Amino acid sequence: MPSSGLSAERAERLGRSAIASGAMFAVTVVAATVYTSSGGAARDLLVQELLVNIVIVMGLQVFIGSTGILSFGHLAFAQIAAYGVALTAIPAATKVGTLPDIPFGLGDVELGPVGATVVAVVAATILGAVIGVAIARAGGLAATMITLAVLFAVDQVVKNWQEMTRGAGGLSSVPRLTTNTWLWLAALVALLVAHVFRETRAGRFAVAARDDEIAAPAIGINVFWPRWTAWVVSVALVALAGALRVQMIGSTNPKQYTLDVGILLLAMLVVGGMRTVSGAFVGTAVITIGNEAARQIGDTHEIERLPELFLGVALLIVMLLRPGGLLGDADIAAWMQRRWHGSRRREAASPGALAGDEPASDEAPARSAASSGTGSGWGADSGSGSGALVVRDVVVRFGGFRALDGAALRVRPGEIVGLIGPNGAGKTTLFNVVNGLVAEESGTVMLGDRDLSHDPPHRIARAGLARTFQNLRLFGTQSVRENVALAALAARRYRPERVTVEVDDLLAQAGLLAVAERRAATLDYGNQRRLELARAAALSPEFLLLDEPTSGMSNAESLAMVDHVRTTARHVGAGVLVIDHDLAFVTRISDHIVALAEGRVIAEGTPDEIADDHAVAEAYLGRRDASTPP
Amino acid sequence: MSTLVQTIVDGLGRGSTYALLALGISVIFGVMHLVNFAHAELITVGAYLAYFLSTRDINWWVLAPAIVVSAIVASVATERIAFRWVRGSSPFTMLLTSFALERLSHALWQVFVSPTKKSFAGPAWVFDTFEVGGIRFEWMDVATIAVTALVLALTAFVFRRTLFGIAVRAASEDFDAARLMGARANRVIAGAFAFAGFLAGVAAALILMRSPSAEPALGSDYLIKAVVAAIIGGLGSFTGAVAGGLALGLAEVMLRGYLPEGVWERLTDAFVFALIAALFIVRPQGLFTVRSAERV
Repeated sequence: MPSSGLSAERAERLGRSAIASGAMFAVTVVAATVYTSSGGAARDLLVQELLVNIVIVMGLQVFIGSTGILSFGHLAFAQIAAYGVALTAIPAATKVGTLPDIPFGLGDVELGPVGATVVAVVAATILGAVIGVAIARAGGLAATMITLAVLFAVDQVVKNWQEMTRGAGGLSSVPRLTTNTWLWLAALVALLVAHVFRETRAGRFAVAARDDEIAAPAIGINVFWPRWTAWVVSVALVALAGALRVQMIGSTNPKQYTLDVGILLLAMLVVGGMRTVSGAFVGTAVITIGNEAARQIGDTHEIERLPELFLGVALLIVMLLRPGGLLGDADIAAWMQRRWHGSRRREAASPGALAGDEPASDEAPARSAASSGTGSGWGADSGSGSGALVVRDVVVRFGGFRALDGAALRVRPGEIVGLIGPNGAGKTTLFNVVNGLVAEESGTVMLGDRDLSHDPPHRIARAGLARTFQNLRLFGTQSVRENVALAALAARRYRPERVTVEVDDLLAQAGLLAVAERRAATLDYGNQRRLELARAAALSPEFLLLDEPTSGMSNAESLAMVDHVRTTARHVGAGVLVIDHDLAFVTRISDHIVALAEGRVIAEGTPDEIADDHAVAEAYLGRRDASTPP
Repeated sequence: MSTLVQTIVDGLGRGSTYALLALGISVIFGVMHLVNFAHAELITVGAYLAYFLSTRDINWWVLAPAIVVSAIVASVATERIAFRWVRGSSPFTMLLTSFALERLSHALWQVFVSPTKKSFAGPAWVFDTFEVGGIRFEWMDVATIAVTALVLALTAFVFRRTLFGIAVRAASEDFDAARLMGARANRVIAGAFAFAGFLAGVAAALILMRSPSAEPALGSDYLIKAVVAAIIGGLGSFTGAVAGGLALGLAEVMLRGYLPEGVWERLTDAFVFALIAALFIVRPQGLFTVRSAERV
């Protein structure tokens, strides 16, 4: 059942991509046909430019849109590919004259258009893949700066390596393509690749890491790979555009690949909305056409450089008024998905209301959990899990402050352990140590007989520790369903030994089925907390680490959360380690409580024992002695 | 020995302007997490002002302060016109806003003045030299280094001793906390832009004395170097920005001096950028780390 469901899902995703790409391609074909039906060869040039821009911007979208990392460096690979084509395709007889000192025996090479394109694109992509390692590792602004450095380094090499490139003058007499067929084909391929990439595991993981760089590893995503994959795919597309462009124009020179040109292309990406392929497509059309219109108006009124003014104004207005781009997050493919899931759910709901398919209310989670949790639990598997979570003698220092000073605890499989303590006791720090976000100075974290002390967060998540965060870290731009589905996808991939949990079951238990297609960021607080729990559970972890799951909830909601956490944990067969300030909640839910103060365990035992414990009362309320006047 | 000293002086002179610009970028990044790609346009503003004024035979002793004032005014204006409205947006949005301003600045000069380079007269003493212990120095190099040192000392004083400076530093560490302590966001940010404008103005005056000409894309070359220097130093770290600027200037001059002639020499800039890329691979956070306040 899960396998057929999976391949059906895959087919559906591919279908959506194909339809969306086809629609955009069709619009372009119709517009271009109408436009070129009169007006002559100049109009044909604009169409060529639009097609090249589509390929490049789709390439940019794959990386920048999915990872949120700004890149200035893509054009460098278009340039490398363009020179690659020029050097391999210019007839040997011509090269003798123009490039007499050409190295590497390139003087005798004379490839046809297909051969030259393939060689150039492959070479540029391989170089891109190598540089991509650094970019994917760095992430953030540092990655942006590496891309900038790459752009300038390549620019300098091209300008100064006279023997290969003839410097600023560039290379000409590149054999030209006689039809636009290849460009049209490339545009279609680019649209398809951009759409399909967004549906692949790498694409979805890259988006998750874009939305929250800390939450993504917490469900087992190693952010390096999706980023790198996105980079390589996008470099390949941009290189393809460069290789074709040089064969349309017949020449190439460094002026075609400057930062200014790069910004023009980035503007195309962001003006429409960089996060979606639809946005990138619309932006490309708007800027390409607007730019041409500004040029023509400038020509007739003799205003030089009007296109640049247009670009600056357009970009500024969009950034100030619609920072997300004209379309924001609107996307044909996503719209089709919502329609599809919406209708499917109505079908499913019509015969007899599904337990979770009601508006989320305070008691809904508990009720739906009670109805679906009993029969379909995976609790039986928990016995085969990997043993207890044991933390020993952990010391963490922030400067001179000992946040953890020999903290230790143990959670047995299936057990629920509460972690309490006053503010600053080190509870969240302990989670961060277990989870790999904070490096411990000494001490160990073991899961069964596996030492997790030195593993990075994504390995720890894959080993079976899933967590939630005190201040909520959802994949905000993604749908509620996708938040859970991402973790389920990671679970299928990285925890294949465990039976996967159905996404819809978890959503139903959390009372989120009715809002499954909404953007996670638009949920109210209580639902966001339940969603984070559902996402963590979807990893089918050995242990759930919950950091203040009832923070910000009403008393009634907190109480409902007791049952909800229990059922969810039982459903996926996980033990629980839970931090909370709400003592009523912790007392009710825990089998065992550990009290932390000043980085040390000051008491542990059953909830009743802790309630009577002197040290705990003192840590919370302060010592009552002579030194403090009443 | 003497060439080494000359190289160092040369490198520090070049690095000084990078440092001043990088410091401005770092200050603005500190208060609002904006990497301001429009920052070097302030040089262009100063350049066109100098071009217009120099045609009226105005002395450089008046011109230089005028350049500084124009940069301050322009810097504050960008904040009022554009950056105030995207405050608190994603760094990506702010960065592109600054790009839009940079484009706009280029286009406006091109459309309303001229796309071509306009030269004017620099001060007469700029290329005069003097000799100490057999080593020849340019007055301009010495003046650049001296002025920069003075401005940096002033900067250190402002950030350590004045309420404004302390508010800016506090805001760089945690803006919300600084606001709760009574720092007024609009004033601190506008002040930071004014101060960054002042630094850019000084850099512009020094640059224009040496090469007195105005063209629309004048800022671009400096911009890249300054941004790179600020990021090498670790954005938001003021010491880092200065160190990054000086290091970049020295690296450029040294590489040019020591790379073998021919192709390699022509590829100096390519090497500088390759080195920078390598640096970010080793230390993504830059040389000087700024404590991150993000809570998990």
